[in-house]
Amino acid sequence: MKKKTFNIIICTLACTLVLSGFLLCLFLPKETYSDSERRELTPLPEISVSSLITGRFMDSFENYAVDAFPFRDTFRSIKAYFSYYLLRQKDNNKIYVHDGYIASMDYPYDKSSVNYAASRFGYIYDRYLKESNVYLSIIPDKNVFLAKDAGVLYFDSEDLVKDMKNSMPYAEYIDIFPTLSIEDYYKTDSHWRQEKIEDTAEVLAGGMGVKLKGNRTAVNFSLPFYGVYYDQAALKLDADTISYLTSPTIEKLKAFDGQNNKSIPVYDAERIKGKDPYETFLSGPLSLVTVENPDAETERELIIFRDSFSSAVAPLLAEGYKKVTLMDIRYMNVDYACSMVDFKNKDVLFLYSTAILNNSETIK
Amino acid sequence: MLFSSIPFIYYFLPSVFLIYFLVPRKFKNLTLLVSSLIFYAWGEPKLTAVMLISIATGYVSGLILEKHRNTKKGRLILCLSLLIPVAFLLYFKYADFFITTFNSVTGLSLPLLRVVLPIGISFYTFQILSYQVDVYHGTEAQKNPIDLACYITLFPQLIAGPIVRYTDIERELKTRTHSTEKFASGVVKFTVGLGKKILLANTIGSFCAAFNGATDKSVVFAWVNAAAVALQIYFDFSGYSDMAIGLGRMLGFDFLENFNYPFISKSATEFWRRWHISLGSWFRDYVYIPLGGNRVSPVRHIFNIFAVWFLTGFWHGAGWNFIIWGVFYAVILIAEKLLYGEFLKKHRIFSHIYVIFITLISFTIFNRENLGDILDYFRLMFAADSTPFITAETVYYLKNYAVIIFLAVIGSTPFMKKLADKLPEKARYILTPLFVIGVFVLSTAYLVDGSFNPFLYFRF
Repeated sequence: MKKKTFNIIICTLACTLVLSGFLLCLFLPKETYSDSERRELTPLPEISVSSLITGRFMDSFENYAVDAFPFRDTFRSIKAYFSYYLLRQKDNNKIYVHDGYIASMDYPYDKSSVNYAASRFGYIYDRYLKESNVYLSIIPDKNVFLAKDAGVLYFDSEDLVKDMKNSMPYAEYIDIFPTLSIEDYYKTDSHWRQEKIEDTAEVLAGGMGVKLKGNRTAVNFSLPFYGVYYDQAALKLDADTISYLTSPTIEKLKAFDGQNNKSIPVYDAERIKGKDPYETFLSGPLSLVTVENPDAETERELIIFRDSFSSAVAPLLAEGYKKVTLMDIRYMNVDYACSMVDFKNKDVLFLYSTAILNNSETIK
Repeated sequence: MLFSSIPFIYYFLPSVFLIYFLVPRKFKNLTLLVSSLIFYAWGEPKLTAVMLISIATGYVSGLILEKHRNTKKGRLILCLSLLIPVAFLLYFKYADFFITTFNSVTGLSLPLLRVVLPIGISFYTFQILSYQVDVYHGTEAQKNPIDLACYITLFPQLIAGPIVRYTDIERELKTRTHSTEKFASGVVKFTVGLGKKILLANTIGSFCAAFNGATDKSVVFAWVNAAAVALQIYFDFSGYSDMAIGLGRMLGFDFLENFNYPFISKSATEFWRRWHISLGSWFRDYVYIPLGGNRVSPVRHIFNIFAVWFLTGFWHGAGWNFIIWGVFYAVILIAEKLLYGEFLKKHRIFSHIYVIFITLISFTIFNRENLGDILDYFRLMFAADSTPFITAETVYYLKNYAVIIFLAVIGSTPFMKKLADKLPEKARYILTPLFVIGVFVLSTAYLVDGSFNPFLYFRF
């Protein structure tokens, strides 16, 4: 090859790369929503004299240009593969993979965050729970089982548990750590698998002096389940399967969405096709949900202050109660939420994952 | 607008190049001027006026100076005409620094002006100053305001250098050649710079960010971070310079190299001949030599070195850390001249270790905000306050960034260039296009995956 030919090849190559990118940026239809990030993508900003003078247009256009870039997820995958396999980085944007499990690195231990969560729970106790039986249980995040072996940074969850127990002397602690292992979690999602946590539910119920009926069978949804970490990892990994537990008692449970004032299914098969299939359990992130058990042989009621993990365990706990109320104070003002519930002589369980407690800024 | 951004690479660049190569030769400079103003206004819509006033001053003063060169009147006009761009620089860049210093000395509390720093003001001001001085000393003034404005605003070098002298591209402003050879060479140079900035500097920047956010710092972490900071600044700035030089070549200009593997130097003096060459030569020609250079008494010579390095430090930023950094180098360079320069020449291995040590210390000063920060960092590096030698967090980040730091270290030496030069021509012809594709695709992937991506040198 002559030097001249080489120069022509380089020039053609550069022009092709930049011009094809330019044309694709201009003419390829734009996505408006990113499934991988679960957010709206920045739209093309409107141009005006004031937006140009203030620089608002330019700032927005920078975001738009990146968000609307053609084959964005493919490029994210290229970056992920390059980071993991060529640069040998353990995490990419704090997401790591070990033994086929994807997790988000949660480090360091944020004591102030844990104290904040405990202070909010203390507020609830002081104002509303003096005449209730109060329990605390903490759900280990996947990192508890995965991080050490994966060689990524992690904090000692025992410190977190100890601090929470010390900050909530009014609550009886129920330890569910021994009932769980990494196999009890989805590979591509942050949550636990309902069909794997029957023993956890038994321990929780036992800790509150309640016996569950059991006799459940697992039913598989036929669709593959790509959890919240799947797209974040931007790697080609195997999908999970998602199952739910049912029994004669669970089938009769009646769930009600207090946030939107409507009945909801305990397991919503339609949601398995949605962006967050885990929402199939009690319709996902709702601030106030009640589950009534018509077969209950008791008048006892349970109120759970919770995060998303509770959606899967609540139907199991409902076997032992007449009514279970789930309150998510990340989405609702505490006083407003508490004004709608009678706590007197009820069991109240604070059930939160280590991940939420270590990043508690969303708790209101 | 940043070179390492999607809007620049995939919107601005193709649009400008299409128009530039389609318009007749007589409109090419005008095309470049308009493009450069859009490029600048993208980041500084309001403060573009400051740059235009400075350019107008340079243009008018150039025409007047040409008629009065080497006269008393000419000298007065030169001083007055230098005042306007210098006044802008002092006001926009240093006003709050002076007020803060005044307040801390007098105990007063004068309010800060909080003026926004126009991007690239240090670079274009120096270009205008050198143009005015050169015209006073005999360079022909540019009669065409579009050509002069085109030189000063030329987008490849506008906001982060290299500081291109008017005399270096005077001829190219009028008659420059475009060829596939020059364009191809520019493409490769630009690609190298893009890779340096996005793949190396930014990734090493993540390591530095991890250090800053670390809860368990250690002696090892502090030293490796000091090295990472030096590498990050090197790849960030030399990457930008390479992109500027590459773009210049594509447009028919030949900018001088700005970096020449500074980390292989055997003395701090040599380091500064290899680092930010255009700035070093600017201070040499417009400050050091006019002050008398080394053809003066020893005491005056030392004063000249201090003056140049005080100004070099201050040019980099309105902060005491930059002044300390400049004075630190003045002390080192004087010590090399008077005390141990000859010793360094005779002991190659020691001199390399010495340069690396000096560089790590100097960039630690450079990278910290104030004296307290600098001292805190040194306490960490030298294990004061019973800092642990190494922690689990240190080990994690070292492992996580080991490959990229290794690549960066190799990339900061001429090893890869020598390797490429040794390759058979045929292999180079095959590997170069693959390199261009690889860096473009990976850089795009990093840009798409990442968020805001500022160049470090914008603040200077």
